[in-house]
Amino acid sequence: MLQLLAYFTEILPIIFYLIFLKRNRGEGLWVIFLYSLLSLLTELLFEILQRQIIYSIFTIVEFTLFSLFFYISLKEKRFKYIPIIGALIFYIVAISNFTNKKFDSLSVSLESILIIPYCILLLYEQIKDPSIIFVYYNKKFWVIIAFFLYFSATLFLYIYYSTLSAEQRSNYWLINNFFEILKNILLSIAFIMKKNDQRSYLTDNLDPDI
Amino acid sequence: MIILEVTNPASSVSLVLFFGTIGMLALTIGLIVFIIFHQRKVIRYQLKLQRIEQDQQKLLLNASIRLQEEERQRIAADLHDDAGPLLATARLYLNENLVNLDKSTQLQSIYNAKQIIDDTIQLIRNISHSLMPPTLKNFGLESAVNDLFQKISGSGSMNASSRFHDYKERLQAENELIIFRVIQELVNNILKHSNASFIHLTQNTSGNKFFIRLHHDGRGITQNDFNKLNKSNVGLGLKNIQSRLKVLHGKIFFEKDMSQTYYKVTIELIKEEDNKLAERE
Repeated sequence: MLQLLAYFTEILPIIFYLIFLKRNRGEGLWVIFLYSLLSLLTELLFEILQRQIIYSIFTIVEFTLFSLFFYISLKEKRFKYIPIIGALIFYIVAISNFTNKKFDSLSVSLESILIIPYCILLLYEQIKDPSIIFVYYNKKFWVIIAFFLYFSATLFLYIYYSTLSAEQRSNYWLINNFFEILKNILLSIAFIMKKNDQRSYLTDNLDPDI
Repeated sequence: MIILEVTNPASSVSLVLFFGTIGMLALTIGLIVFIIFHQRKVIRYQLKLQRIEQDQQKLLLNASIRLQEEERQRIAADLHDDAGPLLATARLYLNENLVNLDKSTQLQSIYNAKQIIDDTIQLIRNISHSLMPPTLKNFGLESAVNDLFQKISGSGSMNASSRFHDYKERLQAENELIIFRVIQELVNNILKHSNASFIHLTQNTSGNKFFIRLHHDGRGITQNDFNKLNKSNVGLGLKNIQSRLKVLHGKIFFEKDMSQTYYKVTIELIKEEDNKLAERE
């Protein structure tokens, strides 16, 4: 049931991005849209072909898209090197451990380990940015929160996945499904929300006498 | 199901996985909540600062409006109380009956009227000079300040001197007037409140900065006093100084000399070209 719901919610960010295309132009949100689209296609393809290699390839593509999103989103030049270095490390590990037989636990775990600090870094940049008055009026904040929660929740699951029994795997996979749904809802929120003009808040608070 | 597995002591992996996930989630949610609350706190603080700044601007604006009104009242009073009666008296001398008087009385009346009109011209000139000192307009800040200090010294009550070290190029006329008014206000305060026996003014430049320093040996104020007076409803003159300097993006510092004998007031301004750049930015 939860698995089905997770599949269904995969469509939501794609639909909302396309409906509110005008609102979502710029800010590198197209990368997230592309990620959502590829994620859905991967799930469909896996259902049809039942080949583990699809997920292994998707993990590499997914991390590339995340790295690109963080590279676009990070404003400070010195931070921009981080996703590049992270991507290089990830590619080395992912390619050397590339497998088409079992779940690519190591690559996915490394992906989570790298994405979590990226999210913290981007959140840190957002709270430091004086042009952002309320972070939660910012589309990117919701995107970051979506991935931050998803990868934090599934980190231990991915690390220990290969050591779990088949029964345990199916039980614990509920965590992945639940946070996948949450991630898709949060991404949908990001795509639905209006491009916020943070300046209006400042002008609203200015004393008309001055 | 997950809980059941966790409670099974054999499944240590499950335990690590369960508590690891819970821990990570707790940390993540905690961090997000912290960011949101921290940001709200920062915004509240910024708004508070903004409000303080607005209040300060209001005070300065009120001070400058009050000063303008006082200046208008003074000019109105000068015109009404001095020029008005003088012109009325001149009119009396030149009334219609003048043609019926004998020639010597006529001449005397015309002479008296001329005297009164001369006095009125002088009075109007004085009013005009108080609005824009002619020395300042024609010869610049250095001459106007020297003139002001010579007048103070000439009165014999105080020794006043000024020295401009680096003032080869004049500032813009309106900026010179603002600086002159600030100096006038400061000197006025020293004369009124300090009981000083001397005032010395020096002008210097350093890099893109333009400095004017005033020293006196009387009772003065420090920066803390200045800030307090600026925030209170008293100290109209000081607020006026502040608002004038704001126009020039200038700063003013009040301090006691290292020797603790003199009070020092430093006016710091950015040179005009840099100031224009700052304004554009």
